[in-house]
Amino acid sequence: MKVFRYLIPLTIFFAACDDQITVELDEIESFVSIDAWLTNQPGRQVIRVQQTQGYFENTFLESVQGAQVTVTDDEGTIFEFLENENGEYAWIPPTPTDSFGEIGRAYFLEVIVDGVTYSAASAMNRVPEIDSVTFRFEEGNAFLEDSYFGEFWSRDPLGVGDTYWIKAYKNGVYLNKPDEINIAFDAGFSQGGVVDGLIFIQPIRDGVNEFEESEEDDGMIRSPYTFGDSLSVELHSISNDAFFFMQQVIDETNRPGGFGELFANPLSNVSTNISVSDPDVPVVGFFNVAAVNTLGRTLVDEDDVRIVED
Amino acid sequence: MARSAIALFLFFASQVAFGQEKYTISGYIKDAANGETLIGATVYIPAIGGGGVTNVYGFYSITLAPGTYNVQYRFIGYESVTRTVELTEDTRIDLELSDAQQELEAVVVSARSQDANVSEIEMSTAELDIKTIEKIPAFLGEVDVVRSLQLIPGVSTVGEGASGFNVRGGGVGQNLVLLDEAPVYNSSHLLGFFSVFNPDAVKDVKLYKGGIPAQYGGRISSILDIRMKEGNAKKFEVNGCIGSIFSRLAVEGPIVKDKASFIVAGRRSYADILARPFSDIFDDGAALNFYDLTLKTNYNINEKNRVYLSGYLGRDVFRFDERQGFSWGNRTATLRWNHLFSDKLFANFTLFYSDYDYSLAFGENDRDKFEWDSRIRTYNAKTEFTYFANTQNELTFGGEALLYRFRPADAVGVSDGESTDISLDEKKALETALYVGNEQTVNDRLTLQYGLRFSNYTYLGDGTIYTFGDTIPGIRKPLIGTEETDNFEAIETFNNLEPRFSFKYQLSINSSIKGSYNFMSQYIHLISNTTASNPLDVWTSSSNNIDPQTGQQVALGYFRNFKENQWEASVELYYRWTENQIDYIDGADLLINELIEGDLLSGDGRAYGAEFFLKKKTGRWNGWVSYTLGRTELQVEGINRGEWYPNRFDQLHNLKIAGFYDINDRWSLSGNFTYLSGTPTTFPNSRFEVQGYVIPYIANEARNQVRIPDYHRLDFSLTRNGRKVKKNGKERKVEDSFVFTVYNIYARRNPFSIYFRQVDDRIMAGTPVETQARQVSIIGTFFPSITYNFKF
Repeated sequence: MKVFRYLIPLTIFFAACDDQITVELDEIESFVSIDAWLTNQPGRQVIRVQQTQGYFENTFLESVQGAQVTVTDDEGTIFEFLENENGEYAWIPPTPTDSFGEIGRAYFLEVIVDGVTYSAASAMNRVPEIDSVTFRFEEGNAFLEDSYFGEFWSRDPLGVGDTYWIKAYKNGVYLNKPDEINIAFDAGFSQGGVVDGLIFIQPIRDGVNEFEESEEDDGMIRSPYTFGDSLSVELHSISNDAFFFMQQVIDETNRPGGFGELFANPLSNVSTNISVSDPDVPVVGFFNVAAVNTLGRTLVDEDDVRIVED
Repeated sequence: MARSAIALFLFFASQVAFGQEKYTISGYIKDAANGETLIGATVYIPAIGGGGVTNVYGFYSITLAPGTYNVQYRFIGYESVTRTVELTEDTRIDLELSDAQQELEAVVVSARSQDANVSEIEMSTAELDIKTIEKIPAFLGEVDVVRSLQLIPGVSTVGEGASGFNVRGGGVGQNLVLLDEAPVYNSSHLLGFFSVFNPDAVKDVKLYKGGIPAQYGGRISSILDIRMKEGNAKKFEVNGCIGSIFSRLAVEGPIVKDKASFIVAGRRSYADILARPFSDIFDDGAALNFYDLTLKTNYNINEKNRVYLSGYLGRDVFRFDERQGFSWGNRTATLRWNHLFSDKLFANFTLFYSDYDYSLAFGENDRDKFEWDSRIRTYNAKTEFTYFANTQNELTFGGEALLYRFRPADAVGVSDGESTDISLDEKKALETALYVGNEQTVNDRLTLQYGLRFSNYTYLGDGTIYTFGDTIPGIRKPLIGTEETDNFEAIETFNNLEPRFSFKYQLSINSSIKGSYNFMSQYIHLISNTTASNPLDVWTSSSNNIDPQTGQQVALGYFRNFKENQWEASVELYYRWTENQIDYIDGADLLINELIEGDLLSGDGRAYGAEFFLKKKTGRWNGWVSYTLGRTELQVEGINRGEWYPNRFDQLHNLKIAGFYDINDRWSLSGNFTYLSGTPTTFPNSRFEVQGYVIPYIANEARNQVRIPDYHRLDFSLTRNGRKVKKNGKERKVEDSFVFTVYNIYARRNPFSIYFRQVDDRIMAGTPVETQARQVSIIGTFFPSITYNFKF
């Protein structure tokens, strides 16, 4: 739960310890994991069919070889995904600038492994334009250096139930930490409190910044962007189910530790939208089809800094 | 339902109406030093081998055949007084008892008569008086009511920093915490490090773990009944303390001597004040403090009437700057009127108001901000009658009505200048109860206490109510209908008939067997899915989608005293089974969610165990050993494949040792040791990846299948009392003491939890993700502290 993160600093004056430890985990047999997140961005699309492994096995997942992977749309068009290496199955567009899918269409995934069929459905939903990407300056404080924050500006269209995943790239590198996952239900955080038809709320607009400790090792957080850095923002329209799934992914992966543990939910399995022809066969993973809009900007100098009105 | 309650009452009434002409001795017993009424003082009449005990207002009443009696008035730590009474008419005897001046008896856990452990019917209760609480080595030297209770068998917590406490395997939200009869919804300051009760204003603390009498209801696990001091009715008194976290000051005194008195007690933390010279963050409006203020006054109108007014205000404030931050707190107000209809019929009428709220605000300017307030308010009227029928029967009966107003979210979000209201509807409910109970002394050996409580709960409009469809347990229930309701329209009604029963059978002068059964129902639910309960947990009402929780408990105990009541020992066995326990689907959205009821699951619970208690009450060495062997489990469709699993607060072994040693009349030493089995948690088995994120996977949907390492800790404190006489031989006006405390003396890093994650570093493309297990200790070192207490 996001608001709990704001509660953590209040216990700064107690010394919580957070140490890495060694624990034994029970091993179980591996089974199929399907990672299928397709977009309408130009170029090839990839579905990963792999095997689960022990939690502490710090290697790439083993591939599942010889799977038949297809996606069919609601008009009957079939997209074939051909086996590559490392469990990757790819659809190659006729020309490199062509893209997969169409907004408003439904898509059906089918993966056949050793005679077992794994299937799932998703739809490509509308996505608004990103109007601009800006930077603003904030004076430092006890925890933060003088900082330039990146922001993106976009308005959620009217109508409750648009869900998004916002991905940010700093200098071309995807901000891929679990605490950097930035998702939105309409223009707000969650389904419960409806924030429809507005510009994305500030914490979501601000969710394109990384917070890393400064090199001086003084416990300060360094400025997310400095002159010369670029920020590129991708706005993905994900399905409602994918939004709820990503909420669970955040719950299970974003563990700040320390006092944050007071507010942690019990560890549990994330859901899946993939069903199996044999109900005794387990599966993990998710299938989603997203439309994407992208916009980027480089913070060259002071002229790129937005003046914030009070 | 109501008819059977009336029939029962008539039965009790008929039991007591016959017999020869009798007269009543009654009155109040008070402390001679300050006029505070004494709760649980004994009035013993050797001629009949029995007597009575003062109630929570210090009143007693005994009805006897005419004659001449020796009446002994006794209270632990006080000089006993014997009066000879020639009983030819109803006689009022108000009495003041003086402190025994026996230093060594200052430490008492039970403020009752010497052999109360064995001779009284109560079981599964723990009473701590404030003198004992003050002696227990406290975290950072802060004397703490709730933390002290954790040294009693059957009471535990999931760890440091967690709000509240767990009783016999029950949840934090299943305890009813009463401060002068008003419920306190969050009993903690600074998450769970300190409790909200100012020890300077507390007179008596009593925890009912089982055998709960009929006048209490509304929660299924326990009742914590805290009574505030009335204030010194004889002379002005100032108590204070300078501690490392709080400073406290309490002023009390007579308004009209022996007629009216008051107490005002305040505490405030001062970390922010100490930090101010070293940091400029507080100049921008940042704040970090918590405080509470307790007030009480009473007026003795005449022999038959007395009124009390008490209030509490406490708040925790944390702000990053003048606009952003959060705060929470309780407010209660209680007005009570004690009235004696006759020497035998004592009545109390109470009105109270209780309010718990929290608020959060984010956003540096008005163009982009988020503000959220949440609150629960309770309005209550109640009456309580005690009819001291005769020496064999003491009848209690009464009723109460509570109006709840739940406001889970009063919230607004502003994005780039456009605002949107995301508030949720207010929910209302009315809870009413009628009860009757009797304590019957059947003969020298057998005492019974039996009663019946009838409770009714009505979930009231207005607002929208939702209907959900069935689905596989464990996933979000689909919304299938909505309906608008009128203001105060009855949407759903629940009734429960709650029988209560206890017995005591005296085996010998120094041993007895006691047993009890109680049925409890609970209509409001604490929504909390985090490891530890915390201030943002929301209370929600039973409704068309949520059934009330019910709990039943049986307990059986053996009680024995040794060496002329110097040693007390007891063993209690309990079994508690509960229904409609709330749990949550995976990924439940619990804050600001109008469809929250679709994310809740319901299941059964069971808890059982054995509690052992051995206490040495007097002597230079005194203290106790408390050990609980217990289990607490849940079974919820949709979690752990629908099979039983241990609760988060399941601790098989719970051992506490508290020891006190008076070195001489100036120095004393206290120590306590805690050992708890590791709490259960869930470990993953496998991993898989979604878009580069490593996700843990748990085989068989297991929950809490492993345990974190055990918890143990040793604390010490050393008290140095100031001199009583000056060098010139005159008595000092000021009583003072220094307390040196070391918490967690061997600096053990006690685990709070173990969690799993991918490494914190940014994973570069083309490298596999590394995962790790980590262990958190909330307090990972020893904490020394010094406090200074004074009184004049």
